Amino acid sequence: MKLNRHLVRTSVVIAATALVLTGCRSSSSDEDSGAGPGISDEACPDAVNPDNGCISLGVISDLTKGPFAPLAVPITDAQKAFWKKVNEDGGVGGYDIDIASNIADAEYNPEIHNRKYQEMRKDILALGQTLGSSQTLAILEDMKDDDVLGLPASWNSAWEFEDQILESGANYCFEAMNGVDWAVANRGVTGKVIAVGYPGDYGGDAAAGVEAAAKANDLEFEKIETPTGQDNQAGAVAAILKAKPDLVVVTTGPAEMATIVGGTAAQGFTGTFVGSSPTWNPALLKSPAAPALEALFFQAGPWGPFGTDTPGHEAMRTALGDVTPNDGYTAGWTWSYPLLAALKKADEDGGITRESLVAAASELTEVDYEGILPPEAGATQGDPADVAYRSSVISKVDPAAPTGVSIEQDLTTGPTAEAYDFSKPCFSLQ
Amino acid sequence: MSSRLRGRPLVRTSYAQDMALLNTPAKRRSTIAIVIASFLVPFLVTDDLLLVLTLGMISAVGAIGLNLVTGYAGQVSLGHAFFIGLGAYTGAVLGGDPDAAVTGYGLPIYVWLPAAGIVAAVAGLLVGPIAVRLRGLYLAIVTLGLVFLGDHIFREARDLTGGPGVGRRGPDLVVFGIDMGESGVVLGLDLAREQRQFLMALVFLIVFAVLARNIARSGVGRAFSAIRDRDVAAAVIGVDLTRYKVMAFAMSSFFAGVTGALYYAVVGVFEPSAFGLLLSVQYLAMILIGGVATISGAIMGAIFISSLGRISGEIAHVLPFISESSGTDGLLSVFQLEAILYGVLIIVFLIFEPRGLFGIWTRIRNYWKGWPFSY
Repeated sequence: MKLNRHLVRTSVVIAATALVLTGCRSSSSDEDSGAGPGISDEACPDAVNPDNGCISLGVISDLTKGPFAPLAVPITDAQKAFWKKVNEDGGVGGYDIDIASNIADAEYNPEIHNRKYQEMRKDILALGQTLGSSQTLAILEDMKDDDVLGLPASWNSAWEFEDQILESGANYCFEAMNGVDWAVANRGVTGKVIAVGYPGDYGGDAAAGVEAAAKANDLEFEKIETPTGQDNQAGAVAAILKAKPDLVVVTTGPAEMATIVGGTAAQGFTGTFVGSSPTWNPALLKSPAAPALEALFFQAGPWGPFGTDTPGHEAMRTALGDVTPNDGYTAGWTWSYPLLAALKKADEDGGITRESLVAAASELTEVDYEGILPPEAGATQGDPADVAYRSSVISKVDPAAPTGVSIEQDLTTGPTAEAYDFSKPCFSLQ
Repeated sequence: MSSRLRGRPLVRTSYAQDMALLNTPAKRRSTIAIVIASFLVPFLVTDDLLLVLTLGMISAVGAIGLNLVTGYAGQVSLGHAFFIGLGAYTGAVLGGDPDAAVTGYGLPIYVWLPAAGIVAAVAGLLVGPIAVRLRGLYLAIVTLGLVFLGDHIFREARDLTGGPGVGRRGPDLVVFGIDMGESGVVLGLDLAREQRQFLMALVFLIVFAVLARNIARSGVGRAFSAIRDRDVAAAVIGVDLTRYKVMAFAMSSFFAGVTGALYYAVVGVFEPSAFGLLLSVQYLAMILIGGVATISGAIMGAIFISSLGRISGEIAHVLPFISESSGTDGLLSVFQLEAILYGVLIIVFLIFEPRGLFGIWTRIRNYWKGWPFSY
């Protein structure tokens, strides 16, 4: 008994002092012996090329509790695989890229997102992933102060106007326009279109696109906001059933979308649903809403799904190996191409630092997406109205396909998106 | 005047000596030592740990407030999150950026910080009379209702709060002309922003801790303790229940309000879902784990609970089956470990050390008082 108590006490004291000592300030507060924060001449931990230096990228994602966790975990894994392949190909400019050491979970909450960014802001060269439109906006000011480039795991139209953000793929606004145009041409939509989405930037951006497309196609438009959470969709379902539209554009998470589609279909609704890119998850095929989704749901997305036959998709499938197909992987993989292009350009322009990376990112004229998107889709140099990419893929639910969706209409720019005057973000919160 | 007898600290020869805040030489010396050590901490500890400690110290003021109403006055309050939220949004609206999409007036700190406390205190004054008529579990449920009321108000008032899922920035932190959000040279010292915020939070904590300690040892504090122990008996001996219960709620709400305003000024961005039941439970955990009805216990508990995230991160480094990131490689992810630790700690403390961290400190102190004859 007595020995046990002594043992407990001494071990507690040792643990406490160890904890305290790890927090001690080192005499050199700037431990990076390189060009600046996030880039060092020492090798990365578990480096593929031990002679290379190390570039640190940060990831702030939604890995456990938020509505996009089922997509965000594959996104992060795909990015890890992408940069591992880059390291295996020799790295960039004599540096390996380390993305695994600075991964944080922000639970799709702007407050936690900000906190995680504060914790990692001194250690990273750039953010390889920052998930969520409102969440990224919460840290945008600090990113500008730090001159940190960020790759958003979101497709907000505001990103085209921010030099700090390097996005890929058509934004929610153009995507919604393309979705509405396709539905009018192929699903006989004539009367009313409703946009259902989260409050804030994500839902608001798509709703702005739906509104523009409704005006161009002479449709009645209504906007409904709905909160996150499968149990909170009763209001949206009731509003859709009351208004009886021909088309509903959904901009929520996958579980919420399935609840809305399944809930309205169960009450006899037969209108078309077009979902923004993040609304689909292959696991939905196993949910009770699967028959309704197969009949009524179409996904508007920025690029072909997991099983598409392009060199880039093939490279991704090879790098990931044997995984359950999920379009989170496709997104994470494709998003990383522009950062690779920017890193290479910064290296050519005289050396990689935070400032040179941001400058290179806004001067790209093309990005090699290995076939997933055309090279001019990645252009950032010039007026957003000219260089913003406006094409989307429309996919239908296909249980036989690897991720449950297969292409119905390949990358096309609809008439509304083509004609839209893109002089400012579609939906502005600030 | 009193004449202090050397070597006999517990012999009190004057009323002033008896009532003194630090009434033994040991207390005086150790308090001065702790204060000096705390002012040296920013120069010894890394910045990310400083941020954790800063937030812990600011929460400590909120925990002290909750201790005043629940620990000293015995009124169970689950509504602390509501008052913290009120204070946070008052501070953000009054002190926030006037050019942002949400309302902000850009007023200085000596306006928004007291205003945050006062607005929350007024809300506490309104809740106080309800406490007079209810006790125990019923009071807990009613104060719980406050949290949900507040949740609804904060979600709906989009112009003030930004709305759910979006949030807003807190007030700008500029004290005596020094911007706490920036790093650089101030008063001859090169201080990073975390260091500045730590020192500001330390001063804030000292001011409010002394204030609370004075309340606790005054007539008001004695009335609170009487009400906690047996409020019917307290009423019989002449303690005005209504007045003191309302005062308890108002005071604790003031502390909660200033805590909310300053905490979210440091955090930067916050959104309405932060002020839910979980925050109330967190503060209750702070005072239960720290030690009910003690000011230093509340401070210890607050700093401990605030550092729980960091502690579970360090444990994850040491234990091999906890994975650092997405959780696919280990048995548990560090985020899951934090959630588990949280609940386990509350249970363990309530079972094995009901007096909390302060009780553990008391045991250590008594051991060394009697050393080498501590058995």
